[in-house]
Amino acid sequence: MSRIWTVCRREFISYFQTPVGYVALGVYALICGLAFVLSLFMYAKVSVQPPAYGYTSIPNFGEALVSPYLVFCGILFMFLSPLITMRLLAEERNRGTLELLLTWPLTDRDIIFGKYLAAVGMLLLMMPVIALHLFLASRFRPLEPAAIALGVATVVLMGLALISLGMFISAVSRSQVVAGTLTFGVNLVMYIAGNVGEKLPQRNPAPEGWPEMLRAGIGAVWELFRGLLTQLPLDAHARDLTLGVARPRDIVYYLLFAAFFLFLTFRALESRHWRGK
Amino acid sequence: MIEVMNLTKNYGSLRAVDGVSFTIPAGRITGFLGPNGAGKSTIMRVITGFTPASGGKVEVAGFDVSRQPLEVKRRIGYLPEHVPLYEEMTVRGFLRFVAGIKRISRENHQSETDQVMERCGLTVMANRIIGNLSKGYRQRVGLAQALLGNPPVLILDEPTVGLDPRQIAEVRAMIRSLGGEHTILLSTHILPEVSMVCDSVIIIHRGRVVYDGPVPDSGKGGASLEELFMRAVAADPAGQDEPAGIRREKEA
Repeated sequence: MSRIWTVCRREFISYFQTPVGYVALGVYALICGLAFVLSLFMYAKVSVQPPAYGYTSIPNFGEALVSPYLVFCGILFMFLSPLITMRLLAEERNRGTLELLLTWPLTDRDIIFGKYLAAVGMLLLMMPVIALHLFLASRFRPLEPAAIALGVATVVLMGLALISLGMFISAVSRSQVVAGTLTFGVNLVMYIAGNVGEKLPQRNPAPEGWPEMLRAGIGAVWELFRGLLTQLPLDAHARDLTLGVARPRDIVYYLLFAAFFLFLTFRALESRHWRGK
Repeated sequence: MIEVMNLTKNYGSLRAVDGVSFTIPAGRITGFLGPNGAGKSTIMRVITGFTPASGGKVEVAGFDVSRQPLEVKRRIGYLPEHVPLYEEMTVRGFLRFVAGIKRISRENHQSETDQVMERCGLTVMANRIIGNLSKGYRQRVGLAQALLGNPPVLILDEPTVGLDPRQIAEVRAMIRSLGGEHTILLSTHILPEVSMVCDSVIIIHRGRVVYDGPVPDSGKGGASLEELFMRAVAADPAGQDEPAGIRREKEA
């Protein structure tokens, strides 16, 4: 356990021995701040004249402002997470320090959890910004402390999943640049897929005239495809959570996502035992 | 202490190490010689548990490297060939980190790192960033991390490369002083280094052991180490044209 902590501490400190840590935190705080201010202005405009924006009455504060803002914060982390995760293992491999790491008395568990926790530490450092914004928002309209906590927790959950994915990609890459680009690409595709998935028609795309068996088959595949596109992306499960609806399946989704890629990271690091044997 | 049994290692279709066996008794300093690409670093990497063997078995202090890697790693201090280090850390910070990893108790971190820095002549550089150090000092940091925790086995891959003559003399004296209580496997290209420092020598050529025995003492009129090396390396390890001298020395 103390080995995990040792690895974690070095990894975490080294974020701030290079500009990476400051850049990631600074950019995150800046963009979150802009997003918060802009959505607050927008909400103010809408509540003065709801019909002009297609509302019949003043829109719900949580639904119209807090929830979209929190989902945005999660999506923003989606695009900043490569900065935090790309170095985790790819850099060790690139500069050869993996040879030290793997010949010191450490287990794979010490290395992977240590690094994962360091990246999670970076994620947690970003959260006070969001908490501050929510606290400010609660000055205008009362927000339940539990709702604020759940909102921040949602962004953390998204972060846990994203860091895990990024670390796996870093574990199979030789260079940071490749790992970062690939992580960014995967996140982007996932985000776009979610948006596309929502716009896909629900009805069976097979023409009416086709045999019933074939139509049923295509319908099933289509349903599965559409389901994957709408349910798999990371932001899809955040919406209800940020509204204060804590459904276990949404929380479990993020935890399973993180666990799955942590598992793959273990396998990737282990592959040295059988690859090229 | 180190027992290598019929070790083979393939990289794709290339056989880098081909049925190597040798034993290094405890407390012995053994020189590891061979031309570039002979398989020295590969063998060292297998012993330290970094690279898996394709065949054969390696035991350190009675522990099988592939079965109980953690037990083996606890007993080995390893200086890799190109001395990879965390560039952004200070010398002291890095050594403290290694002390934590090597399960040195927290109250001893300070004294152990100070001691090992003293031993490697790093005390003046303690607060410098590793990335700004000269090659010689980087080499010393690599050596210092290997020595931390006082492991009984030291695997040193070309420890004197890049050092100035005075540093070379110092490092050699240090390695010499570590013999007896440590078992050391030391790879090098400098033949006189072996004569000066080592108790015995293993010569590897094309992935095979071509000589395993005491360091020849040219003072007694026998063949010098250089002659021995040239003869061993000139021979085709697989072929029949092996000079008669070598086999006899191997058995001796």
